[in-house]
Amino acid sequence: MVLVEAFTATVRRVGPAALIELAGLIDGRAEAELEQSFHDAVRLSPEEVTLDFGGVNYINSTGIALIVGLLAKARASALPLAAVGLSDHYREIFEITRLSDFIEIRQEDSHE
Amino acid sequence: MSESTSNRKPPRNRDSWAKQIDRLSVGELPAEAINLNVHGRRPTSPLQGFGQLWQKTYIMRLEGIPEGADVTPAKVIAEWKANFASFWPEGNNFYGALQGIRPGEVAVLNLSVPGGGRLSTGVHVIYADDESFSFMTPEGHMFAGMITFSAAEDGEGGPVVQIQALIRASDPIYEATFRLGFGHKAEDEFWFATLRNLAAHFGGSGAPALRQVCVDRRVQWKEAKNVWQNAAVRTALYLPVIFVRRLLRRD
Repeated sequence: MVLVEAFTATVRRVGPAALIELAGLIDGRAEAELEQSFHDAVRLSPEEVTLDFGGVNYINSTGIALIVGLLAKARASALPLAAVGLSDHYREIFEITRLSDFIEIRQEDSHE
Repeated sequence: MSESTSNRKPPRNRDSWAKQIDRLSVGELPAEAINLNVHGRRPTSPLQGFGQLWQKTYIMRLEGIPEGADVTPAKVIAEWKANFASFWPEGNNFYGALQGIRPGEVAVLNLSVPGGGRLSTGVHVIYADDESFSFMTPEGHMFAGMITFSAAEDGEGGPVVQIQALIRASDPIYEATFRLGFGHKAEDEFWFATLRNLAAHFGGSGAPALRQVCVDRRVQWKEAKNVWQNAAVRTALYLPVIFVRRLLRRD
């Protein structure tokens, strides 16, 4: 049996940034919650939005497209986007998809 | 602090992703293929393009599947990956690996363009699993972006198949065709026909629908330079050379 770990996104303020802690699976089913979390983060009027991937254990290509969409929205609002908590595998995925050209990837681990 | 990022267990879909590459490399192709604008080009994300950023979702339920046919989402994706080229509208060619769509493959596309011309470009398969597969486009393609093909059960009948593109026109010439409407129209008709052909392959039918959202209305003027790699212009310029070379080889 395959255990399906639902996607969750929690938003909180950390200094001048809005932190979105992501957990579970990022695929097409994550769209509504991911969008909502980004809107909630923007409502905090942060200087930056940080995506924390420390709790993410699966991303498929639809999930990457959702993150690209978020990045596009952040750029349209002139809001810097950063990523923390990426495993080596997901760093490579960000390179393959060229997300890394536009999102600051920080070495630090998750904020948990 | 959570478990260190470098110590985390690799995800179960690790092998579904392509390996990182800087530039595309094209393998052997059939003699009739026009191999231009792919080899040596870099893949582009939707962020590298010039035009407005669109999320276009073409969606269709497979209906009228013959009774007893085992048409699950996994079966649909397996068939789609194995026979991808055969579902394209007539006059358009997809030259991929014989084994079908696999992560890391590079395919050359020879497309029909309005006015009877041809356009040679390509795609890089960045992801493929049992439920979906995705391409990224190279520099010079009409779009900078990603396109994902998937199938799922929604509990209300046959499987639902979907093509979702997150794309920007690569340069001002392509963007002009989209602003004038015929670029979008051609794109939409192409994918609607593909979905209908896929349904017919399973002995069924379907009524494709389109949902589109403009994610970013701005154009990115700093990417206007992409016009130098425009595959339509380059194909038009190089085609006479290719035909002369082929004629000379025959003698």
